[in-house]
Amino acid sequence: MLARPGLPSFDYIRASTAQEVVRLLKEHGEGARLMMGGTDLLVRMRQGDVRPKIVVDVKHLPGMSEILYEEGAGLTIGAAATMNQVAKHPAVRAHYPLLAEAANSVASYQVRNRATVGGNLCNASPCADTTPAILALEGRLVLYGPNGERELPAKEFFLGPGQTALQPGEFLTAMRFPQLPSGSAGKYLKLGRSKAGDLSLVGVAIFGFPDETTSSGYRFRIVLGSVAPVVLRALEAEQVLASQPPGDETFALAAQRAMEAATPIDDVRGSAVYQKAMVRTLTLRGLRDVWEQLAGRKE
Amino acid sequence: MAKHTLDPVGKSVSRVDMYDKVTGAARYADDLQFGPGLYYGRLVRSGYAHALIKRIDASKALQVPGVKAVVTGKDTPIRIGLYLKDRFIFAMDRVRYVGDAVAGVIATSEETAEEAAQLIEVEYEELPAVFDPEEAVQPDAPLIHPDLGDYEVVNFILPEPGTNISEHFKLRKGDPEAAWPKCAAIVEGTFRLPQIQHVPIEPHVAVALWEPSGQVTLWTSSQSPFAQRDLIAQSLGIPHGNLRVVSPYVGGGVGGKAGVSMEACAVVMARAVKGHPVKLRMTREEEFIGTTVRQSLVAHTRIGCDAEGNLLAMETRYYFGGGASNEYGVNIARAAGYSCTGPYYIPNVKGDSYCVYTNLPIGSAMRGFGMPEIHWGIEQIMDQLAEKMGIDPAEFRRRNCVKTGDTILTGMKMPQIDLVACIDKVTKAIDWGKEEKPSAAHKKRGKGIAIMWKAPAMPPNPGSSAIVRFNEDATVNVEIGAQELGQGAFTVAAQVAAQALGVPYEWVRISAPIDTKYSPYEWQTVASRITWSMGNAVKAAAEDARKQILDVVAEHWGEDVENLDIKDGQVISYQSEREQPLEKMVIYGLPSEDFEGWKGGPIIGHGKFMPTYVTNLDPETGQGTRAVVHYTVGAQAVDLEVDTETGEVEMLKIASAYDVGKAINPDLVMTQIEGGAVQGASSAFEALKFDEKGQPLNADLVDYRIMTTVDAPREIHGDIVETPLEDGPWGARGVGEHVMVQTAPAIANAIHDALGIRFNDLPLSAEKIFLALQEQQKD
Repeated sequence: MLARPGLPSFDYIRASTAQEVVRLLKEHGEGARLMMGGTDLLVRMRQGDVRPKIVVDVKHLPGMSEILYEEGAGLTIGAAATMNQVAKHPAVRAHYPLLAEAANSVASYQVRNRATVGGNLCNASPCADTTPAILALEGRLVLYGPNGERELPAKEFFLGPGQTALQPGEFLTAMRFPQLPSGSAGKYLKLGRSKAGDLSLVGVAIFGFPDETTSSGYRFRIVLGSVAPVVLRALEAEQVLASQPPGDETFALAAQRAMEAATPIDDVRGSAVYQKAMVRTLTLRGLRDVWEQLAGRKE
Repeated sequence: MAKHTLDPVGKSVSRVDMYDKVTGAARYADDLQFGPGLYYGRLVRSGYAHALIKRIDASKALQVPGVKAVVTGKDTPIRIGLYLKDRFIFAMDRVRYVGDAVAGVIATSEETAEEAAQLIEVEYEELPAVFDPEEAVQPDAPLIHPDLGDYEVVNFILPEPGTNISEHFKLRKGDPEAAWPKCAAIVEGTFRLPQIQHVPIEPHVAVALWEPSGQVTLWTSSQSPFAQRDLIAQSLGIPHGNLRVVSPYVGGGVGGKAGVSMEACAVVMARAVKGHPVKLRMTREEEFIGTTVRQSLVAHTRIGCDAEGNLLAMETRYYFGGGASNEYGVNIARAAGYSCTGPYYIPNVKGDSYCVYTNLPIGSAMRGFGMPEIHWGIEQIMDQLAEKMGIDPAEFRRRNCVKTGDTILTGMKMPQIDLVACIDKVTKAIDWGKEEKPSAAHKKRGKGIAIMWKAPAMPPNPGSSAIVRFNEDATVNVEIGAQELGQGAFTVAAQVAAQALGVPYEWVRISAPIDTKYSPYEWQTVASRITWSMGNAVKAAAEDARKQILDVVAEHWGEDVENLDIKDGQVISYQSEREQPLEKMVIYGLPSEDFEGWKGGPIIGHGKFMPTYVTNLDPETGQGTRAVVHYTVGAQAVDLEVDTETGEVEMLKIASAYDVGKAINPDLVMTQIEGGAVQGASSAFEALKFDEKGQPLNADLVDYRIMTTVDAPREIHGDIVETPLEDGPWGARGVGEHVMVQTAPAIANAIHDALGIRFNDLPLSAEKIFLALQEQQKD
């Protein structure tokens, strides 16, 4: 019923190669859990939600915590890079500020020292704060498994709450982001019950950039967190913004479409009705903010 | 010694515990070391809100290696309780809420004890449960304590056996029926408050050792070492002299560590493994359901005033949701009953205050003890009455609030206070009446005011005592039984002793930890009574020591004692202008002329204080000469803005003013005011939530949100009013709980000012405010 004091017993293994991780996962199956920051895994073990026999620490694998940026090639973030590492990294802040903003919104400063972006993704929680930004930036995930490495668009990774496209023996090693279109702008807005340290009741990531192929001259991506079984792209809303001239009327309609796309449930944190309404509020605020940035850049 | 502070009363001297607390050197109960013989305990808790226990099978648990013993209700057949003995230390034949302790496992590690606890099989027969206090008083409600009539109870608490009512306090004054037709305006409302939790930074912890000789020691984080000794000794049949309670610094109490909660379990568990200390500590999650919570309340209140805006009549029914045990909580309903009007003079009153059993966690003391609950409704009704009469809400309160000498609702004459001065201070601080622009087009700004009163809620005669002992160098050890919860009790004790003795503040040491074997008696560190009650005892002890010193010196000098004084650690004579340092003489005395013999000896002063003038109240009317010792009063005003697109509230400023009689340490008063503003605001926005079976939904800090620094009011302003109290040390009365009593209604009144919407039920939330705004737009 309640969380227990301390943790149930388990074996801790600090993996040093990716091959070792794959072998342990194959060997132990459900009995093995991978750990990076542990901010979610250890809490869930204490609550008795998961009872792994072995915990495999993968954050010390080569490159797992590295952040690399190369003009033209884009950004690669090791799965075990911490939230604070990402939020503070000069290249992330300069070229992918939306990602820095999202990482910086997670929990509290102390938790962000441990929590990792990769862990946040692999939990596949609909309220993960970095997922909307990663989807909005069309990130790709690097997975390593028994057959070696493969890459997957982030949007194909999430199958349901807590469910991912990871195959048996496979794990996440990095996130990759393409070079962003020039003149782009982004915003992540999060609503919690208190200003710091809360899970998001609603999270909205907006990303926009000039695009000559649309009739509005712009393309926006809108991604909603906490309001559906998985983090959700609001495609109808994006369609409105691609086809109609930017401005308050269009933004209001797009915010309305985003709200309609959300399918939250009532729970102890908030009602579905409120969460839906907040999708509209935050989307509208986010669009105005991003539009201000875009218009400012154009001048 | 670098600093040398003379006459410290009224000065913001540094706390005596400052160095320990700032450096982290301060030791708390869980820091104490007990060596390899230490065992650990874990509790088995009920998963049902109401059920009969049919069978407990601990055989599997006892087979786990490392498990030493299992205890159950069979081991604790005598009920325990402060005012009403209604609780078994471990559930006997039935469980009354989800979380009720059913058994305790003792093992060599906490993990082993937990593992074994999960193997204990308990067979239950589920019973219908009731959660709302108003439903629980209905004749067909499930009876939670069928044996209520057999329980031992103090003479001023009146349970109604055969019902779920553990206390019914009646207040009858004047003739409300005749007054209603004369009212020009009447406002009526139902107001609800949920259970909330104290969330002390240090969870409850207790270590107990039952020695084969029969000596029992309990080390615990406690506001009430002496009350714990008394209650546990009675329940377990231990001679008081054999039970020693030791309590180091307390990491936050707020009422949650008053009386006895889980500590008694630790003692019972220790009895099963004599000679081994047993440590029992609550996880953060257990803190919410395994200790105590603030009671819930349903209030039906009606208040009316005449055409001039003078209050005429009030009728109120308070149903406190006391949870599964009301052993302490009965006195909350009683306090709410004898103070049911709030800080107002109302000539005609009918009040009924009930404490009601429900199948929820145990309601008990929490900062303010009944007052935050009743002020929530009263202070909103006052705003509504003022609005109906076209009178400014602050002015309406100035006109109607209690004043010195008023015959208040119980027939008692109001002791010295100045509530109007408090109202003046907060309205000035917040620019009352001046309309201010919100910071953005989608925000609305509003201001609200609320006032309060509170008397220390306690038995008529709780005592304090103190000992003042000199050392060779004239430093002083002050022994008290009052506890340091962070509020500054030790600092106040040192200031009072230094002032009364005539020695520098820096010469005083507080003898801690509090230890019932060595510390002098103190009823409990609760009810904001310590500065006043302990202060009086310390002052008396210091004056006793001072008199002993002066008598010795007067005899030595052959002078009249009336001409002598102690200043700056020296005895001085106003007659001969001679001086005698206290150093050495306070232990060795003084030699006679020519060293033919000695006078004096080690100086030890003792003092006590106990109010002797509180009278019982008539059970049918609540009338009596003196219901309480005194009241502390105060006002708060809030300036806030509401985001109309999300419902979020941002508190821009809160101003507080309290009449403390005399601020012994103004900085400590201000820290109370600051902490109260934050805790009070926080208490308006959260609730313990349960499903329809009484299962807790947010018994953790993920989903029970308390305000953090960034959520707190942006500016916290405080003012101190000083109208001396007749029997307070230098006129001081307490100010600890008062600072959060009226915060929630002040916020609600400000929200109403901003939006034109009233909220009768707590908690507030951004969601609730947003949805109410949506409704408002529809109309």
